[in-house]
Amino acid sequence: MLRLELGKPSVGNCDGFDRRHALRLGATGLLGGLSLPTLLELQAKAGSGREIKAKSCVFLFLEGGPPHQDMWDPKPEAPLEIRGPFMPIATNVPGTFITDQLPHCAKIADKYTILRSHSHRDNGHSTGYHYVMTGRRANFADGDNPIPNNDYFPSIGSVVARELGQNRTLPPYINLPHPMQGGGPGFYGAEYAPFVIESDPTQPDFEVRDLQPISGLSSQRVSTRRKLLAGIERLERGRAEGRAGIMSTYYEKAQSLITSPEAKKAFDIHAEPDEVRDRYGRTQIGQCALLARRLVEGGCRFVGVDAPGWDVHFNCFPSLQTDLIPYADRAFSALVLDLEERGLLDETLVVMMGEMGRTPRVNAQAGRDHWSMAQTVIFAGGGVKPGQVIGVTDKHATAPTTEPVSVNDLLRTIHTLMGIDPDRTYLGPLGRPVPLVDGGKFIDALV
Amino acid sequence: MLSFVVVARTDVAAEMIVSPAKIVLDSPEASQQLLVSVVTETGRLDVTGEVQLTVADKTVAAVSGGALVRPRSEGQTEIAVKLGNETVRVPVEVVKQRHPDPVSFRNEIIPILTKARCNSGGCHGKAEGQNGFKLSIFGFDAASDYTALMKDGKGRRISLTQPETSLLLLKGTSQRPHGGGRKIDTGSYRYNRVLRWIREGARLDPENSEAGQIVSIEVEPREQILLAGGTQQLRVTAVDRSGTRRCVTVEAEYESNAVAIADVDPRGQIQASDIPGEAAILVRYLGHVTSCRVTLPRPGVTFERPTETNFIDKLVWDQLGRLGIKAGVPASESEFLRRVYLDTIGTLPTSSEARKYLADDSPNKRDRLIDELLSRDEYVDYWTMKWLDILRADQLIVTPQGTVAMQRWLRHSFQQNVSFDQMARELLTVQGSTTAEGPGAFYKILKKPDEMSRAVSQLLLGVRIECAQCHHHPSERWSQEDYTALAGFFTGVKLKKLPNGTEAIVSLGGKDLPHPRTGEPVAARALGAAAVDVSNLSDRRVALADWLTQPDNEFFSKAIANRIWAHYLGRGLVEPVDDIRETNPATNEPLMKALSRHMVDVQFDMRAFTRTLLKSSVYQLSSASSDSNRDDQQNFSHAAYKAIPAEALLDAISQATGVAEKFNGWPHGYRAIQIWDNRMPSYFFSIFGRPVRATVCECERSGEPSISQALHLLNSPEIMQKIQHREGTARRLANSKLTNDEIIDELYLTTLSRFPNDDERGLMHEAFVGPEASRREAVEDVLWALLNTKEFIFNH
Repeated sequence: MLRLELGKPSVGNCDGFDRRHALRLGATGLLGGLSLPTLLELQAKAGSGREIKAKSCVFLFLEGGPPHQDMWDPKPEAPLEIRGPFMPIATNVPGTFITDQLPHCAKIADKYTILRSHSHRDNGHSTGYHYVMTGRRANFADGDNPIPNNDYFPSIGSVVARELGQNRTLPPYINLPHPMQGGGPGFYGAEYAPFVIESDPTQPDFEVRDLQPISGLSSQRVSTRRKLLAGIERLERGRAEGRAGIMSTYYEKAQSLITSPEAKKAFDIHAEPDEVRDRYGRTQIGQCALLARRLVEGGCRFVGVDAPGWDVHFNCFPSLQTDLIPYADRAFSALVLDLEERGLLDETLVVMMGEMGRTPRVNAQAGRDHWSMAQTVIFAGGGVKPGQVIGVTDKHATAPTTEPVSVNDLLRTIHTLMGIDPDRTYLGPLGRPVPLVDGGKFIDALV
Repeated sequence: MLSFVVVARTDVAAEMIVSPAKIVLDSPEASQQLLVSVVTETGRLDVTGEVQLTVADKTVAAVSGGALVRPRSEGQTEIAVKLGNETVRVPVEVVKQRHPDPVSFRNEIIPILTKARCNSGGCHGKAEGQNGFKLSIFGFDAASDYTALMKDGKGRRISLTQPETSLLLLKGTSQRPHGGGRKIDTGSYRYNRVLRWIREGARLDPENSEAGQIVSIEVEPREQILLAGGTQQLRVTAVDRSGTRRCVTVEAEYESNAVAIADVDPRGQIQASDIPGEAAILVRYLGHVTSCRVTLPRPGVTFERPTETNFIDKLVWDQLGRLGIKAGVPASESEFLRRVYLDTIGTLPTSSEARKYLADDSPNKRDRLIDELLSRDEYVDYWTMKWLDILRADQLIVTPQGTVAMQRWLRHSFQQNVSFDQMARELLTVQGSTTAEGPGAFYKILKKPDEMSRAVSQLLLGVRIECAQCHHHPSERWSQEDYTALAGFFTGVKLKKLPNGTEAIVSLGGKDLPHPRTGEPVAARALGAAAVDVSNLSDRRVALADWLTQPDNEFFSKAIANRIWAHYLGRGLVEPVDDIRETNPATNEPLMKALSRHMVDVQFDMRAFTRTLLKSSVYQLSSASSDSNRDDQQNFSHAAYKAIPAEALLDAISQATGVAEKFNGWPHGYRAIQIWDNRMPSYFFSIFGRPVRATVCECERSGEPSISQALHLLNSPEIMQKIQHREGTARRLANSKLTNDEIIDELYLTTLSRFPNDDERGLMHEAFVGPEASRREAVEDVLWALLNTKEFIFNH
């Protein structure tokens, strides 16, 4: 498809046209009658000299706030009440140390990049979740909010779904295993809402809502129904206008989602060998990460995994040590290795973070509290230069001493890596243009 | 019968019209757009791009592509404009080249920054600027832009000693690396003017300098009929306080509201597509806006005028005739029946209601049905739900008690058919407990005076003024001052805690708010109105309510007329429905005006107004389209496919399957359209787009189809349970004595309000044959299939 909207003022970036259009131009080659120099210029603009690698993103969200100092940013020189009980270990990247709770990740530190300088100022869970997913501060108080809680601004997953659209059979934006609290479509509307699994992939009876054949329907009835529906589709051919026409295409997609081998395969976690399932860990985050890989293979653009339980205010170290960190360690490392083995790591961006880090000082209940001033974010694949450590925090991991990386820096970076123009705007319901990302800077060091 | 035929473009023998008759270029960077047209049988045709232009003395002036005349040196000459054998000569006078008037920063530099999009929201215009350089968005604040250029950035941006090395020019022309690329070409008029401004000392003209201050802009032509693929060059002229006119065609900005019909390039040339319809080209220059209306008729169509029931039909047929779009056929009785039920009362007709109506052969049965529906309880339920959405009755914020209080007030109002101006007045002037019946809770959501005023503005006037909070509205005449003035009516509103723990709205006194930039107090006044004396009013909002509900306040009557029209016809005459402005004209302006007047004539009686809509032949058109009108989305040539709101759709499914939905905590048999709790968890509502009531915008209710919706209807256990329910429709019919044919008829009437045709009956019979088919299963399968037709899922 050739679409040229050069000079159109309402949308697009500073250059007056947006990069995806330029990319499409590139794909149609010279058929559009463009001279080679023009085309080269457009391509240069499109990539800003950078090749777009990430086709999909797996976003592992450690809900509650993972303790950065107990995982990725150890401070062995700090007093015990700061550094906690965990010790640093060397990784396979000389000079890079993480804590001994992440042995699997330590072996593959050359395959991901640790960003230690993420920092913001929202210390709430639901507000922080909203902030990370939308790049906008919540306009509600922290607390027990409805899900999704982003009534106005779309989540990054909805933005990706809108910008990149559906690729093959699977919906473009999926949440596992529950809806992400800040993962709603906001004013983009239900069309860009996540497809939610609402089922636990660790369970033997795991199945996906509305995708399973209705129980009790004989194959005879299934075929009768198929015949009736096809007949109706034929008789309704006149109703192909506007929304009804779009609904027809969604019906086709839905049918193929229910019946196509590709979709069945994507969701069929039972098809994985036991050995692979064990490698990811038979935990919720582990099986979700594994399912995420299958969904990416099936063409999903943005898989958001909601991994709760990280809000460790009380007696945190036993649960960190036995459940939380080892589960994440296995899931993340297995996912990265698996993607790499399948040749998918380059085109799949993996991001792991939570809504905040945790307090430097262990509290009186032997826990750590909310601390948004410092958090470590892990990036792998999708064109990210691996094996790096970006950013430094102070001696107690209280705050970055290098330039802090904001939520919008992260979002801008993810969009850019996926070939989405973060400055593109859509008109909000109040008539003002709303850019995909509210400011921020691309994290140059990542690539 | 009105016949309308567009003559093809070839027979141009008519006289050529060239404007302006004389050109004066009075600065080195001035330019003048020539417009050349010929008059044919059907109207003016733009030939600006086709004439041959020759300047007699090329040292005095030059003419470039698109018929733009520029000065070269002082003197006089003329331009020969030649088309075929005809030539018209235009004298040109070039003055003030050696000693030009100094460049005005406000009037001549800001438009350059705007046109080059330096100050757009994606670049230096955004709140934090771009790479340390921040301009006011669209250049609304010249003084701060001047400071940004002269003082910020260590003064590198402007070099008075070596003007050519000013960073502004080096970056703008991309001689130095610039993230935004090259925005200004070296040697262009823009470059030259900026350079001359710097050479002259880079001064800021004082804010109130009378000279050169632009007071209005004009676009030519204002209206134009174009043929498929045709073009039209626009000319924009700015008029200053002294009456001096200056051509700013190359400096103005252009935007089309319907790119699919006609697009416009940065030079102001309109390019028509081949889709018939109307488009408005927005023109913007220095905070002034205007528009040009483009009509694209379908050529060679003989328009047959259907019958006229009332003024709506007349005006729609007029428009369709003008555009050469055929009107659709009238809706069948069953189509009308189902549509008018769903639109008016959000409820499907039952099979017995359908049978009774279809069997009735009295001539006035449609009118009787309309009257009957408008007095049903479900009409009250449905319209109460709709207004709870747009009044933002979010129980999380206004509390359940507040939501119920609003629901009761709305129910009462719709039951009593309270006129809309009265409802608006009550909404505007409410005081007292937010949990007592009334709209008081509305003010609980809106914390600040300006939040109240902009919600009221969007809701009741159809004017979105949020943009003007921070800067001059980019496509409207509203300024920050207008924004502040409107908010001034709400400065007395307070939320007071009552001893019993509830809250009350009090509005007492209030003060004028300071202008966000100057800090000067701005007297309270309504949009486009004069300031009012509020000193002896205890509640300032009363003055606003008085203004708002005056019969001659077109904002108000238009906004509600358009809103109701959009509900029934599936699309507002103005879209979005609450974005009414000169630069976003109605797709049928005469009809918009007539509806607005009708709303006043019926004294804001919403039932009476609705009756007029529903009785029109336009409302009663079929949704079937023809080759002639299939692409038409905005002229009402045939009925639209409307999404059924989530609640009404769930009710329809419940009614058709004969199994009421269980809503946790609500009495059995309550219907979804009766429920005030907008946060009641429901997967169905979430995928079918129930609004969260986060804004006053109707657009929150998403009617867009999605894959999750299709999956749910096809394959969810919830819908399956309803179909298979022991006491449901399918089981009841299967156990009855009815024949298979009769059952199929009954299911069609239950879901689609009509009898099946032979093909359909034949198809559905297949469910009953097969080796192991049980009658119960067959009935279930037929019902399942019917629930998955587009005919069921949509309102058409």
